[in-house]
Amino acid sequence: MIHKTLSALGAAAIALTLSTPATAAEGGPTIDMIKERGSLLCTGHNGSYLGFAEVDDDGAWSGFDIEMCKALATAILGSPDALQIIPVSWAQRFPALQSGDIDVIIKVTGWTMSRDTELGLQYSRPYFIGPTNIMTRADLGVSTPEDLEGGVFCINAGTSIERIVADYMGARDISYEALNFEKPEELRAALYAGRCDALAGFGPFLAATRFNAPNPDDFVILDAVLALEPEGIVAREGDDSFIDVINWMMSALLMAEEAGITMDNVDEIRANPPSSSIERLLGVSPGVGERLGLSDDWAYNMIKAVGNYGEIYERTVGDDSVYKLPRGANRLWKNGGLLYPLVLD
Amino acid sequence: MSDATLAPPPGDSRLAYLRRRLFSTWFDGIVTVVSGLALLWLITTVLSWALLDAVWSEENAEACKDAAGACWAVIDARGRLILFGLYPYEQHWRSALGCAIIIATMGLSCWPAMWGMWRLLGLWLAGFGSFVILLHGGVFGLEVVTSEQWGGLALTVFIFASVFVIGMPLAVVLALARRSNLPIISWMAAIFIDTVRSLPLLTILFAAAVVVPFVLPDWAQGTKLGRVIFGFALFYAAYQAEIIRAGIQSIPKGQEEAAQALGMTYRSTVLDIILPQAFRNTLPSTINQVVITFKETSIVTIIGFFEVTASASAAVGRGEWGAYYVEVYVFVALVYFIFVFGLSRYGAYLERRSRLSHV
Repeated sequence: MIHKTLSALGAAAIALTLSTPATAAEGGPTIDMIKERGSLLCTGHNGSYLGFAEVDDDGAWSGFDIEMCKALATAILGSPDALQIIPVSWAQRFPALQSGDIDVIIKVTGWTMSRDTELGLQYSRPYFIGPTNIMTRADLGVSTPEDLEGGVFCINAGTSIERIVADYMGARDISYEALNFEKPEELRAALYAGRCDALAGFGPFLAATRFNAPNPDDFVILDAVLALEPEGIVAREGDDSFIDVINWMMSALLMAEEAGITMDNVDEIRANPPSSSIERLLGVSPGVGERLGLSDDWAYNMIKAVGNYGEIYERTVGDDSVYKLPRGANRLWKNGGLLYPLVLD
Repeated sequence: MSDATLAPPPGDSRLAYLRRRLFSTWFDGIVTVVSGLALLWLITTVLSWALLDAVWSEENAEACKDAAGACWAVIDARGRLILFGLYPYEQHWRSALGCAIIIATMGLSCWPAMWGMWRLLGLWLAGFGSFVILLHGGVFGLEVVTSEQWGGLALTVFIFASVFVIGMPLAVVLALARRSNLPIISWMAAIFIDTVRSLPLLTILFAAAVVVPFVLPDWAQGTKLGRVIFGFALFYAAYQAEIIRAGIQSIPKGQEEAAQALGMTYRSTVLDIILPQAFRNTLPSTINQVVITFKETSIVTIIGFFEVTASASAAVGRGEWGAYYVEVYVFVALVYFIFVFGLSRYGAYLERRSRLSHV
């Protein structure tokens, strides 16, 4: 109910802005605004979204989305500290972008047609591919969804997960029983209490649920992917040069991973670049900055500050974090994933 | 004549009294024993969860996984986040002091000796002024902290106090306007009250935070926090105005006519005769509305403010603490309880104080 009211409000707020499209672009591109202000205004969360936007004991933000904000801030302004995280709720993110409260949305925001076309938003290429997975009790010895024939699924009521599971299981003619819960806390408690055989949900949520279990080893996340949601970085429509910067930032992070450039060895590699495209990437030979309106060492600064894509992933949601979320579709193409850098010529 | 109940007959000791009240029939006896046991079970369960089996300090956080009781280590580790939100860590003392100032200001204005228009005005200007200077900074060598970063208890208390201080006078004006003899004024007040009342608070706050920037020019926007407080105050005023109007209507019309017949001015009639009685008659419902407002401040989380409840959900929203949300919400409930219980006790004191001695 609250959610519906807010969606309607958000839509109303956006409809208001549509009459004056791309207000910020008229006043000069977003990058000029960011440089003039000396800081990037990026999204946080009104609370915490596990693994993506969290607050540590000192009140500082951390998480995958926050690291992406830092990467973007470093690319544009040269320092990960040139960043202000503005807490916004889910409903508030699009109007806040349109009104200029924030420069960019990096907040696990799925790339959907209505958002892309009707809301006047511009998406970057996906920075995270969000899978819907199944987690089961380890003692069942299940390895594929087919093995769960006749099992009980715990599902968050009224979410898209309900439909995704029905579609997936229906297409494979696997019968199952659904147990719906309104709140994530109830869902977790039901799983821990053994009321269901499996829990379907967004991968990162499952990883956190497993971590918080009395004994995390009691649960396994199956490899099967029920659905994928590509999450993009969102900017106001009409500022192509800003989207260019975001796409190339993402590309540089992936290129660094592909070439094995990390936070620790970037200085070494810069001193002794193995190829001409790495030379260009790290700003040894000019060209990578000027065409985007940035300094030539933007990618070097960024890698130095936050590392490559793989490092960011492992540190925040992957194996080096408490969540241990498998990379799955978020691996590089050469490791069987869906991510690839663009060509730096 | 209630003072004259008969004294218990001599020899009716405490034990006999208990037997008479709790075990007079066999059915009473069973009910007493069963509910006594249930109560005992409840108390021991809660006590052993909350105190005996609990893990207290952050150093022992590892023990939480195996502990049967509460994991208060989460409060030890995340308490500052809950109480201060996103306010910069090294500057927490400013937030704490600001919060103390607002609470002291509220406390002082509850004290009858401070009740005078100028005294209250001076008190609140000083209280709010020092709060804003402390939290925002930018003077006296204090680092600037924008209101987007304010949070925790200081923010909750500040929003509550501002809503009350702006909303209450507005409510009085609205209530009087609605009873005005000039049709246009009473009509406009009625339309305003009914419109605001028919909108959900959430809608008003969302509009104030998100939609207003599209409508108003930059110079008229103020800060997001300011707009939200203003919207909240309008909402409070609409409800409070109806409460006050009920109080005014409960006063016999003859009193107002008598005041006019004695040649009292409108101002004096309202301030000396109508309003004091209206407030006294509506004290219970006013306290009700104030308490509701205090609890509703948690709604501002929806526009990204880190008041106590939002900070609490951020506190559990981190891998290692995600399992201990019950402890965190119990802690937050205690914080709310202290304030709300204080408010209702004060309400009871006011009722006793304003009771007429000669009735």
